[in-house]
Amino acid sequence: MTTVRKRYRIGALPWIGPATAVIILMVLYPAYEMVRTSFMNIDETGTSHGFTGLSNYRNLFHNPNLVAVLERTVIWTITIVVATVLISLPVAQILHAKFPGRRLVRYALIVPWAASVVMTSTSWLWILNGYYGILNRILISLGLIQDQVQFLGSPTQSFAWLIVVAVFVSVPFTTYVILAGLTTIGEDILEASTVDGASGWQRYRNIIFPLLRPALLIGIVINLINVFNSFPIIWVMTTGGPGYSTDTTTTLAYKISFRNADIGQSASMATINFTIILLFIILFLKVSRWREDA
Amino acid sequence: MKRMTRGAAVTAALALATSMAIGVTSSHAATTLTMIAADYPGDGHTQQNQWNDFATRFHAANPDITVNVTVKSWNDIDQYVTTQIASGQTPDVVNKGDYSAPAAAGLLYPASQIVSPSTLADILPTFLNNSKYNGVVYALPDLASARALFYNKDLLAKAGIKKLPTSWLSLTTDLGIIHRKEKGIYGYALPLGPEEAQAEFNIWAGGNGGTYYDYATKKWVLNSPANIATATYLKSLVSKGYTEPNPEKCDRTACAQALFAAGKAVFINGSVFLGSWLTANGGSKINVGTGSFVSNSKHKPVTLGVQDYFTAYNKNGNQAAIQKWMDFIYQPDNYAKFLTAAGGFIPATKSAGVKAASNPALAPFIKLLPNAVFYPGDIASWNSVKGQIQQGIGQAVTGSPSAVLGQLETAAIAAK
Repeated sequence: MTTVRKRYRIGALPWIGPATAVIILMVLYPAYEMVRTSFMNIDETGTSHGFTGLSNYRNLFHNPNLVAVLERTVIWTITIVVATVLISLPVAQILHAKFPGRRLVRYALIVPWAASVVMTSTSWLWILNGYYGILNRILISLGLIQDQVQFLGSPTQSFAWLIVVAVFVSVPFTTYVILAGLTTIGEDILEASTVDGASGWQRYRNIIFPLLRPALLIGIVINLINVFNSFPIIWVMTTGGPGYSTDTTTTLAYKISFRNADIGQSASMATINFTIILLFIILFLKVSRWREDA
Repeated sequence: MKRMTRGAAVTAALALATSMAIGVTSSHAATTLTMIAADYPGDGHTQQNQWNDFATRFHAANPDITVNVTVKSWNDIDQYVTTQIASGQTPDVVNKGDYSAPAAAGLLYPASQIVSPSTLADILPTFLNNSKYNGVVYALPDLASARALFYNKDLLAKAGIKKLPTSWLSLTTDLGIIHRKEKGIYGYALPLGPEEAQAEFNIWAGGNGGTYYDYATKKWVLNSPANIATATYLKSLVSKGYTEPNPEKCDRTACAQALFAAGKAVFINGSVFLGSWLTANGGSKINVGTGSFVSNSKHKPVTLGVQDYFTAYNKNGNQAAIQKWMDFIYQPDNYAKFLTAAGGFIPATKSAGVKAASNPALAPFIKLLPNAVFYPGDIASWNSVKGQIQQGIGQAVTGSPSAVLGQLETAAIAAK
């Protein structure tokens, strides 16, 4: 018995080996280094002076920008994920319907997803530029505004624009996940409901939406992780500024390390980020298991 | 288990063999130096070509020494060097804007060990004085810059202003006239975005007797009355619309210099290389004049002197090879090539300085240098404090000056 199982396990090694190696080298080892660094005293030249206990975390909790950044990260994540799902649900429904040119529209939707986020963000940066941006030009030509507007000037306004761009980037993926969910719903169920006299809304509310739940759940959790971790949009468009007023925890960790030269404190911020992500994942596993049990 | 042991033995044997092989080759005393250099703006081309040329010619003259130079943009170089050191790949030579933190950490050779006495004697003492840590020179100045008030002659004439402003008061008056007469033109381009906010604020504060660090009391004094008054004055210019909107978002190159190049700003605090930058970046049609920077009444006009450095790290123990390489760089012919590739800066050696003094583009700046204020570059935490200032100080002219400067001072005191 045992020998058979053992041989079975060893036999699987060539197949899972490469993946395991990648996970160990690219995921576990960096994570280990990150956590370790968060407990070390590293001066601004990059020289390590050994372990220092919790002092990096203490410095981080005394960081005057931390509370505002944490609040902003929550707003950032929730707003974007909710807006993305609310937009993607009807868009997916439209793309699921049959109409001439549907394939073209489906392709078009992939573009913002396929383009590198840095590229998309850079485009938006110039669209919104206060001096030369095309949006100013259009709005002035239409007579909607008199003078040029600095869209990325004030903290609140630029944060709002960052959210808009993040939603723009997240919608395609989410739409496709939902679309995939829609295609799994059998025509027969829908036909049966029509025969039973269900209205369009009843059909969506009581049949399609419940059956979409698994796809939706996956879409939401992957978005939560992506958006929470999102770095390029903020970095390209505002570098978290002015000051720290559009930073999230991800860009703050980067700034502490590479602008303020405090690698240890930055690692402690990154470790907290990592913990939050782990919580998201545990939550996801719990929820999906709960669904299976039900 | 047995097989594992055998495998380990094979590995160990291989490792031994390899190390012996290395031992044999190293008897030829071949040294490889790694250098990380910041990329000066120059004529718009990267300096990698210049450094490759240096390395090739140096290797031809010294076949046992190979130099690998990595050129990095000013945006990335600090973090690149830190990361290299943190990951155990300490470079031998670095060319960038600071030296005090590695000097304080004991990572550097003193300057006297990385160039020959004759080369050291050729470097201007003013600059060597700004390269000390605890009284010892730890860095070699590579070049320097100074700043002046640049203005657009045509826009100034259009506003009917005949005399350059010399004080804050007369500047306010002139900016008011420009604001009334020339729509869509900003009187002063104020770059307090992260790129160079520390420079812009330092020169304004210097004209009001303010500074970042007080050497007499050995304290950070970011929140001094002089600095608060400076921020309050700048804030008044911003709120009257005399500057571009949102100066806290305005980076020097992409925003302020670009506005000036586009003929949308009358005054700008420009560095010595601004002229050549304008030519290379679409501003060649701008009719440029320069003058002394403005100061508050009762204060002398100042310029901000900025010097950058060569530093040599002692971790790899390549002192002899480093010295050869540094002497090679400072040879007059090579140093002249370096200055040309960097683009219009003030030289740091006496021999090159004599030539530069007769250069009409540089002469006015060299004259300003005696009144120059410098960064507190010899304080170990300067690089970290600089980062804080770059991120935050712009908000002092849009928010509350004393609150923002107070927060920066607290952060500076706390910086390691």
